[in-house]
Amino acid sequence: MSDIFNLALLGITLRSTAPLLLTALGGMFSERSGVTNIALEGMILFGAAAAAIAVDRLEAPYLVSDPNAHVAWIPWAGVLAAVLVGGAVAFVHALVSIRYKADQIVSGTAINLLALGGPSLLLKAFYNNTTSSQEVVNRLPLWFGFSPLVYLAFIMVPVAWWVLFKTPWGLRLRAVGEHPEAADTVGVNVYRMRYTAVVLSGVMAGLAGAFLSIGFLNQFVRNMSAGQGFIALAALIFGKWHPLGVLGATLLFGFFRALAIKLQGGEVLPSVLVEAFPYLLTMLVLAGFIGRSRPPAAIGKPYEK
Amino acid sequence: MFGTTFSRLLFVVSNTVLLGLLALAPWTVPKRDFDGAALLVTPFGMVSPRALQVPGPEHFLGSVTLGFWVFALLVVLAVVSFFHPNPRRRAQMLYILGGIGLAVFALEAVLFYQAVYSVNSAALAAGTEANRLPLKRYALSLGAYLGLFYSLALLLAARLQLPAGLAFLVRYRGVVVPLFSLLLASLFGMLVVALLTPAPGAKGLTLPLGNAITAKLDLVTYTFQLLFSPLVSLPGWFQSLLLATPLIFTGLGVAFGFRAGLFNIGAPGQLTLGAISCMLVGVYMPGPGWLVLPLSIVAAALGGALWGAIPGWLKARFGAHEVINTIMMNYIASSVFLFIISSNEYKFFGATLRLPFKAEGFEARSAEIPEGARLPFLLSTLAPQGHLSWAVPLAVVLALGVYAFFRRLDLGRRLLLAAAACLAGFVAGGFLPGPPVEISPALRSVRLNDSFFIAVVALFFYNFYLFRTAGGYELRALGFAPKAAEYAGVNIGRKTILAMAISGALVGLAATHYVAGGGIDEYRLKQSLPVSVGFDGIAVALMGQNTPTGVALSALLFGVLLTGGLQLNLQLGISRELVTVLQALIVLFIAAGGFLPRYFTDPLKAAEVETEAKASREASHTGKEAC
Repeated sequence: MSDIFNLALLGITLRSTAPLLLTALGGMFSERSGVTNIALEGMILFGAAAAAIAVDRLEAPYLVSDPNAHVAWIPWAGVLAAVLVGGAVAFVHALVSIRYKADQIVSGTAINLLALGGPSLLLKAFYNNTTSSQEVVNRLPLWFGFSPLVYLAFIMVPVAWWVLFKTPWGLRLRAVGEHPEAADTVGVNVYRMRYTAVVLSGVMAGLAGAFLSIGFLNQFVRNMSAGQGFIALAALIFGKWHPLGVLGATLLFGFFRALAIKLQGGEVLPSVLVEAFPYLLTMLVLAGFIGRSRPPAAIGKPYEK
Repeated sequence: MFGTTFSRLLFVVSNTVLLGLLALAPWTVPKRDFDGAALLVTPFGMVSPRALQVPGPEHFLGSVTLGFWVFALLVVLAVVSFFHPNPRRRAQMLYILGGIGLAVFALEAVLFYQAVYSVNSAALAAGTEANRLPLKRYALSLGAYLGLFYSLALLLAARLQLPAGLAFLVRYRGVVVPLFSLLLASLFGMLVVALLTPAPGAKGLTLPLGNAITAKLDLVTYTFQLLFSPLVSLPGWFQSLLLATPLIFTGLGVAFGFRAGLFNIGAPGQLTLGAISCMLVGVYMPGPGWLVLPLSIVAAALGGALWGAIPGWLKARFGAHEVINTIMMNYIASSVFLFIISSNEYKFFGATLRLPFKAEGFEARSAEIPEGARLPFLLSTLAPQGHLSWAVPLAVVLALGVYAFFRRLDLGRRLLLAAAACLAGFVAGGFLPGPPVEISPALRSVRLNDSFFIAVVALFFYNFYLFRTAGGYELRALGFAPKAAEYAGVNIGRKTILAMAISGALVGLAATHYVAGGGIDEYRLKQSLPVSVGFDGIAVALMGQNTPTGVALSALLFGVLLTGGLQLNLQLGISRELVTVLQALIVLFIAAGGFLPRYFTDPLKAAEVETEAKASREASHTGKEAC
């Protein structure tokens, strides 16, 4: 047992939690404002692709003279690219769901599909390869063994809590998600709140994507998020749309992921089954077997003025 | 909306843009190399980055120049007639211009193919080998097609000038919205291709601006010509049907859920479970092949039904949203799938569990279904041993005949009789001698199997169950207005579970194509099982507007595009994923109602438009009588 439960497991847990936490916290804003976001998976992928391609393009001139040239600002530019692209993709979701009152699930599905095909088109055009991008030299730095985005993810928990429950903006956001008519009556701009919240979720998912492609790995690989956007969605439900709950849920799910990695080839539990635990737990929670998870009342419904 | 300043402005601007495109676009392409580099004929000369030549260029150039000036005149006349104050006269003139445009397009096509034919036959007469003809991959191109579409658009514009023109468009919104979304998605795809890919043969060259635009226009046209190229060959059709078959199943499954107001995005999971149960019965069930095969088909449906029914039950019993649960169950299914095929031995806290399912060897895969219990290839059913068989044609004719003849009986008996006639026809037809037929190696290599027939049956089932039975009526009522349905006595909980189960069963049947029919090259479970067709089913259902005909057509469309995508990769080096992008965009645009006004998506607003049109028509009638 002790060869599984050690400090390394804790490290892997934190590293697998970070992208889930970033994504789930972002998704929390979107869903709290009343817009379902099953496109988190796609937004992670777009962010990851943007980060890897941006870093590769930016570092190319430096690599001509020195193939190992480290330039401090380049990975951060990659993060910026991921944030911008994630936000832009989220804006499309927001536009279609809010302005054109589309079914938010359909819109999210479309973006997830787009995230499977779109990056491949770019990769083919840039690298003549449909599955992965060039490996980059300038990855995100490590601070005491962890990527800065890992720290950011955990710092975001109290920040999100404070924003959501202690600021007027957070109050309005929750009002818009629970009872948009009432919020509108007291002068809250429902549409603008929702646009902001959805774009915010894309920005956070983009950060998670940047972590995957230039923090965890050093390239973009097709479908590299492998369902993490959906695990984040599950964590969001499991954590009852609350920042602290989300923290607990993502830690638990991150722990399962870490466990699945550590258990490979071991004798305790088959790791393929451990990987299914988060999904199973979420279903149980949603059905009310373990506590009750109640979504924001106006979620998924386009607001008609 | 029509006849206003805005619409006039729109008409003038779009016609000007069109005129510019017609002048720059390649109209015909007499020859093209394998990598796409071509000789492009535009109204104002030939463009070829690789300097390809053609004997007798004036023949090709002359007809294109003539065609351009005719269409230029048409465009000017159309703009002028659009400003006519009387809508009826406007419509008349647009109808005439559209008709002329169609005729000119036809003439253009005839002239072009005749010129190609004369060049090639002259070369043949001079002793050139048949596979080294001077003109290859020749085709009409963007300019000619623009002329065709412009003429059709004029006809449509003419219809819109007549009274109740808008109501006409709104009435057919079930077709207008998907087609308009397809058009938008294609335009977007063209833009992406033009931005990301250099024109064929022009890599590294700097062309003059006009020629560069012509070359890019050719690139986007050729991209879409390649995407639709399977439609012109029999193997292409077979390959497209091969890829369309699983899409029909998943599309029907998702559409069935939509009809009952449920969003089933668990198709990948249901497909996985269908595949697992299909394999389990096919491999481990003892008995003769003719018994095991049907049972494995039923098992595929049941596996999918189980995986669909669970989220249905969770929704009915606990109110848990089916979207989240079906997503979760996709991942659970993938875990179960890997659990079954990746190892034969698992350790649980030291204890060992042995499973018999993984086949020997390094690769993660199950044992293979024995030969007798496999679905045969479609070709060997249609033409066994080099002779066409009468079995399938006779079965279809007899079934349709019997169904049409017993008009008086109730639906159940009619269908039963038709099924019996179908079986009898199939057996009897098998004994009749058929004419010998030659099958090309290209056609023989397509692995289209009899699951295609199962897909056709599924389409009929969908149609009959939803639109001809009380149960289906209740399901649709549930989808339209759950509260009203409950008030009318529909047991919502039970219906929800049933709807999800049938939806899952339809999806699960796709496994018959992959496992029992060898759609993944082997008759077993493998990691290459493409579960993402489950998501593609959402696109198919939306594009098909949840009608059986629509689902069949849109599955075929995507099948064609996916098949053409292979050529795209081979010839132009554009990723086949372009098709996925198009699919995603179509879904996105349909979700947004094609960005069309609300009365195209909202049934209530649509009804308002139609009522208004009716009222104005009646008003104009009474007005005439008063005169």
